Amino acid sequence: MALMELEQVSKRFGALSALEEISLVVEEEEFIALVGPSGCGKSTLLRIMAGLIAPTSGRVLLEGQALNGVNYETALVFQSFALLPWLTVQANVELGLEARQIPPKERAKRAAFYIDKVGLEGYEEAYPRELSGGMKQRVGLARALAVEPKILLMDEPFSSLDPLTAISLRELVLDLWADPQVPVAACVIVTHLIDEAVELADRVIVLSARPGRIVEEIRVALPRPRDKRAEAFNGYIDRIFSLMA
Amino acid sequence: MVHQHQHRWNLFFLALLLAILVIAAFYGSRAYLLRPGFVVPAELPKLPLYALFSFARMLAAYLVSLSFSLSVGYLAATSRRAERFIIPTLDILQSVPILGFFPAAIYLFVSLAGGGRSGIELASVFLIFTSQAWNMAFGVYEAILTIPQDAREALAAFGAKRWLVFKRLLFPACVPKLVYNTIMSWAGGWYFLMAAEIIAIGPARYDLPGLGSLMYRAAEEGRLGLMLLALGTLVGVIVAMDLLLWRPLSVWAETFRYEFAASSPGRSRVLDWWRRSRAVKRAKALLQRAGGEARLLLGSAVAALARRSPTKALSTGVAHRLWRACGWGLALLAGAFLGYLAWTAASALAKAFAQPLPQEAAQIPLAILASFGRLALAYLVSLAWTVPLSIWIGENERVARIVTPIAEIGASIPATALFPLIILFMIRVFGGMNIASVLLILTGMQWYLLFNLIAGARAVPQDLKEMTKSLRLPRFYYWRKVVLPALFPSLLTGSITGWGGGWNALIVAEYIVYNQKAYQVLGIGALLDRATYELGSGLLIFLTLGAMVTVILLLNRLLWRRLYRFAVERYRLEY
Repeated sequence: MALMELEQVSKRFGALSALEEISLVVEEEEFIALVGPSGCGKSTLLRIMAGLIAPTSGRVLLEGQALNGVNYETALVFQSFALLPWLTVQANVELGLEARQIPPKERAKRAAFYIDKVGLEGYEEAYPRELSGGMKQRVGLARALAVEPKILLMDEPFSSLDPLTAISLRELVLDLWADPQVPVAACVIVTHLIDEAVELADRVIVLSARPGRIVEEIRVALPRPRDKRAEAFNGYIDRIFSLMA
Repeated sequence: MVHQHQHRWNLFFLALLLAILVIAAFYGSRAYLLRPGFVVPAELPKLPLYALFSFARMLAAYLVSLSFSLSVGYLAATSRRAERFIIPTLDILQSVPILGFFPAAIYLFVSLAGGGRSGIELASVFLIFTSQAWNMAFGVYEAILTIPQDAREALAAFGAKRWLVFKRLLFPACVPKLVYNTIMSWAGGWYFLMAAEIIAIGPARYDLPGLGSLMYRAAEEGRLGLMLLALGTLVGVIVAMDLLLWRPLSVWAETFRYEFAASSPGRSRVLDWWRRSRAVKRAKALLQRAGGEARLLLGSAVAALARRSPTKALSTGVAHRLWRACGWGLALLAGAFLGYLAWTAASALAKAFAQPLPQEAAQIPLAILASFGRLALAYLVSLAWTVPLSIWIGENERVARIVTPIAEIGASIPATALFPLIILFMIRVFGGMNIASVLLILTGMQWYLLFNLIAGARAVPQDLKEMTKSLRLPRFYYWRKVVLPALFPSLLTGSITGWGGGWNALIVAEYIVYNQKAYQVLGIGALLDRATYELGSGLLIFLTLGAMVTVILLLNRLLWRRLYRFAVERYRLEY
């Protein structure tokens, strides 16, 4: 079933055209990766899905209803983590719940649950500055998951981490994706790393350089966990690479 | 199109400035007509009480400044329309010499309060407020503007309401700048407090019971012991506030910095105690519970109100509507106030120009020149000691730890409190009011330079320092090629604020009444004082204040701002 539909979404910033006629359906139980050269409007597209930016033309449908304003069915994970340095891990994770006016007790309970899920139990009272980059992004993930979004949106979530940390966080995301206790129905990740897209996604959407248009959609029909040294895996990488080059 | 728009705004601000000047001139000259005031006896037993009075005045002004800066800074940073009006207005208010407007403020407040002490009290609180508010408002504005986009989006994506965004993001982000500017503002406030407690307008004298008036009176009566005791009390209060409030607040404020730099945040014993102490924890818990109850009560009250009202949507719309109503109310008030200003300005202008032009007006050009010379001299003296000291501090962490607190305390001791001493010394020993007034101007100028330069010198990146070591650059070469260029932007910021402080100081530095005798030099500040206190001439006040403000604004536009832009483009340490 379609969770979210983008109908011929275009976005201009003044004279600059960032996105042109993007049509895309996000299905239930689907992990989507948006790849493309830098400046192609991937992040803008993600923010249109989140309802932070309104498209210049076209529309976003949520289960058939046109989206107007912030999309409450989504939650965002940022490249820069975007944690508030003056709040503890617990308070950072509670932020979205506070915005939705969930009572304090319920807030604390749910935050604790997701802090456990991302493997940060024991760090509830720590401040972001005391955490490593990987731990900060775990907090970012917990904060997004805590509002129990149907669609999890991630904007280059591992780009500011060192390669080893990025590997363990990709594993964490896949674990959470497979976890029946985590009610996320779909994921959209923006990345410029082709192997990251192939490792994570069921469907890779390749965008062209500015203005961003959909060049091709590629279904990755590999069982998880995926073997990065397998021939099929590298076949996908080569194909996407040739589309982008 | 854009240019025309800009043009219209410039005209508007010019008109606003003119209106303020006319009003200042009009009411400033009428201050002369106030009834004879009252004098506070200088007695030792009153010392603690007077210290308390001075502190209370400061606190009142600070609380007004705080709410002003939060609301105005927030408005300017969140509304483009408000920003276009607020920022240039603050810029003008920041650069005009506030002390020149003091007589007008006294007259207005005294007549508003029906004469008597409460009017004078209000005027002094107002004066202190004008010395505290602008930099704090700018701090709030800049802090909100520099919040990373991601953090805003993180809250927006959760659909957070205005209040939550303010509470969790905007206000915390303001804390470091707010704390820093609070400390600066208190220092500036003490400077003005001393000037605000002793008011002599022509024959009328108003003393407010406080440390400043006590000191002054004691010095006048030649009771040096009492005067030094009062000075000691003032220094004690300032040092105590530094240790008990500013130091812990500064360390605490580091929590709210956005960059996650690994620099050591420093330590404060008081803050450590505050964080550890069980009594404090219990008090906090109690407060939190009380706060929670209050919020619950408030929440249910709002809910009850919403239920009783016929429209269902009210409960969600009520906050928004209140907000808008407040906005409109404020706009209406501001409009009414502007209208009133325009009307009084027009009538005052008519009256002022009906007077004959006092012959002193011919002295204005020469007076400006003389004052400028004094300012330039004080500036050179300031540079001569602040630049080397700050370079030394920047190179040596141990020196920084020792010198910075001493300088901070030195800066917050109001030089105005030392004026009687300086006068006594200078006039008796050197017999020159000219040297005394340069010295007094110096006290209103040097600290701005010092603190900006220290901040700049300490911000020279470690990499650059290590590079010079590894290349074995000679020390002199390192100063010339690395440190001085790196210091240039902060040198300019310091110069701009320092000159601002200097222009203001002119008004108290060029004309001093001591023991019923007026000591003065030829200068624009002295001329303004004479116009107010001796002649009571609105026209002369208007002309001197106008000349001063014009020169200041021209210097800002033609010299400082251009230099600053150049400095930022060329010498900013950013890769």
